[in-house]
Amino acid sequence: MPEKLTGVIAKFYDEYYNSTSKRLKIIDAYLFYIFLTGVFQFGYCALVGTFPFNSFLSGFISSVGSFVIAVCLRLQVNPQNKSDFIGISPERAFADFIFANLILHLMNETEKYSWAL
Amino acid sequence: MAKGTSILYLFAVAVVGQALTPSTFLTTVDRDRLRSVFEAAQPFTDAANAHYSILGLKLLGATIAKEQEVCKSVTSSVDTNSVASWFHASTAAKALSNCKLAPGSAQKLLGDAISQDSSVADIYFSFFALKNLGLTVDNGKVTAALTEALKKDDSPMSHGFAFNIVSEIGGADVNRYFDLIEDIVAQADEVDDKYLQYEGGLFVTASVVEGAYKLSAKANKAPVISQDKVLKFANYLLSRKHVHQLKSAYKLLAAVSILTTNKYHIPVAVTLASPVSVSQSKPTVQVRVSNIMGGSLGKMTVTADSAKNLGDQSVVISKKPFKATSDDALFEMDFMANKPSSGFYNVAISVAPAKADSRLLGVTGASVTVKVTTQVSLENVEIGVADRDQVVAPKPTRVQHPGRVGAALEADFHQKVIMKFLLKDKMSGSAFPAHQTFVRLTNAESKQEIIFNVGSSAKDFGYKSGKYSLELVIGDAVIENPIAWNLADLQLTFPAAPGKAEKQDQYAKKPEIKHLFREPEKRPSQTVSMAFTLLVLVPFAVLFLCWMKVGVNISNFPFSVSAIGFHVCLAAVFGLYYCYWTHLNMFQTLRYLGLLGVPTFIFGNRMLRRVKSRHRAQEVQRSMNGSNSV
Repeated sequence: MPEKLTGVIAKFYDEYYNSTSKRLKIIDAYLFYIFLTGVFQFGYCALVGTFPFNSFLSGFISSVGSFVIAVCLRLQVNPQNKSDFIGISPERAFADFIFANLILHLMNETEKYSWAL
Repeated sequence: MAKGTSILYLFAVAVVGQALTPSTFLTTVDRDRLRSVFEAAQPFTDAANAHYSILGLKLLGATIAKEQEVCKSVTSSVDTNSVASWFHASTAAKALSNCKLAPGSAQKLLGDAISQDSSVADIYFSFFALKNLGLTVDNGKVTAALTEALKKDDSPMSHGFAFNIVSEIGGADVNRYFDLIEDIVAQADEVDDKYLQYEGGLFVTASVVEGAYKLSAKANKAPVISQDKVLKFANYLLSRKHVHQLKSAYKLLAAVSILTTNKYHIPVAVTLASPVSVSQSKPTVQVRVSNIMGGSLGKMTVTADSAKNLGDQSVVISKKPFKATSDDALFEMDFMANKPSSGFYNVAISVAPAKADSRLLGVTGASVTVKVTTQVSLENVEIGVADRDQVVAPKPTRVQHPGRVGAALEADFHQKVIMKFLLKDKMSGSAFPAHQTFVRLTNAESKQEIIFNVGSSAKDFGYKSGKYSLELVIGDAVIENPIAWNLADLQLTFPAAPGKAEKQDQYAKKPEIKHLFREPEKRPSQTVSMAFTLLVLVPFAVLFLCWMKVGVNISNFPFSVSAIGFHVCLAAVFGLYYCYWTHLNMFQTLRYLGLLGVPTFIFGNRMLRRVKSRHRAQEVQRSMNGSNSV
């Protein structure tokens, strides 16, 4: 059974590694990075406490938001979805990604005022 | 049943009557005071003052000194353009003997003032000014104008004026206005079930009363005013006898005098003429029966219907006549003949004139209050010191009232001082419950007084040992000989005072209130924080590792102005975000962001355009290669 599982995973990995474009792999690596960061932040919150709650919120929301935006980028850049995003070139998608990130982080830092709530 | 109601009815009448008969009149003192009010107005500065002052003095029967000079000041004080001034001056001049006020141009002014548009007051002023000056008056025009004016202003004051005018004119209108008296009287406000007055006060009330009786005299009919209303008006007028305003004082006097001279209603005033307190040595109660000016009403029989003790409601006198005295208006009685016990008594009095006179009002149910005082004696006074748990002092010292105990009594805080005494009414010999009975202890040095209300106790010596003088104080409203008797000295010993509580000054500065922030929660140790900080940074390294594994082509980075500018600007934006998080506020941030946003956009746009065009070129090349290979 375990051998089978490792086999499946190895197969899955190979398949991914060989059939995915480099561009998507870069984005996936970025997604993985954000995912890990979010997990660690949440781990801190669960293990140690939420004390500077606005810091936690801002960090965690920033992770989640970035992840969502990156997923959007990945969807738009993926050649398989080309038919869904006619007229949206990868460059346009990237520009949207940058813009969305700027807005997300600006808003997210407004979280520093959350003590006033 | 019917009998019961009639008794109730009689009782109600008696109660009402009791409250209504005036219990005061214009005494000599009051008349002198009013006279000084009138005299204070001289020398006259205006016609109104002269009018009220001269007529007031005449009503009081006083003579006016230096009439010619007064006359001169009156005639010279006329304001020839004022209707009111003509009225006041002419009335004053008429009241003086040998005083002639030259009419001048008054006929036209006053005649014109009586018109359909005039106010009642103006008509009144003009009408009487014309009369006084001996000028011609068009009575028909006056009554017509009056009817019009009353339609506009039907206040009691206007009717007071109207009654006076109509009673002067006479004729057919008298009966019409006479019928109005009842309505106007019904408009008066009742106060305390005892007074009847109009809004506007003394002047209005007195004017209406005066006008109503003048009009009745003209109509030769008794005015339709019930007896108790007349009495209530009289009570109100008398309650205002301390008035100091010239105008009101004159009207008061005019109304009071008409209530003593008219043909229909004359209120009787029953007043106590002797001091309120009656005792064995001064047993006489005197009452004065007079009209409300203080004048005699002729021969009378005066009867004390009852005398009731206000405390226990016992009736000590019934149907006892007062004896007449040499003064027609003064009647007296020996109140102590029945040996009433001490206390306050309400004596109900009725009067009956020797010759029946239906004009007199308030002849029954008048009441005066007297108090019977008595002397008290102190007997069986004992004082002694006993231990706390004992009820009776082992060896009490007896002491007689004026004397005192020779040696000072000594007591300490394990003992108590017992004093007993008996208070007796000397007259009846029975025990007397005095209103005020105190034992007062005075510290010989500090003069601090500690007062025991007999029947209660107090422990308020403030732990001050030493010599005290003991005093017994007895007082009551009906005791003639109140007692303050220093009967013994005491040497008292108290335990040491416990720590005295610091006296708090309620105005002292209170400790400052400081704002307290919420206690910050406990932070984790620094190592844990650092560890997690590193842990959060680790994925960054993972990211680079992954990218390297994927094989990111960094050398492909286009080193153009737009690419470098774009990345620099983007870095600057995130740097700005960092500053925003640490110290900038939102508005500053937005301003800087606006500044940074423009170049970022331009650079980004250009960079991506370039990337795209390059991609397109690559694709074209690739497709060409592809076609070649095919």
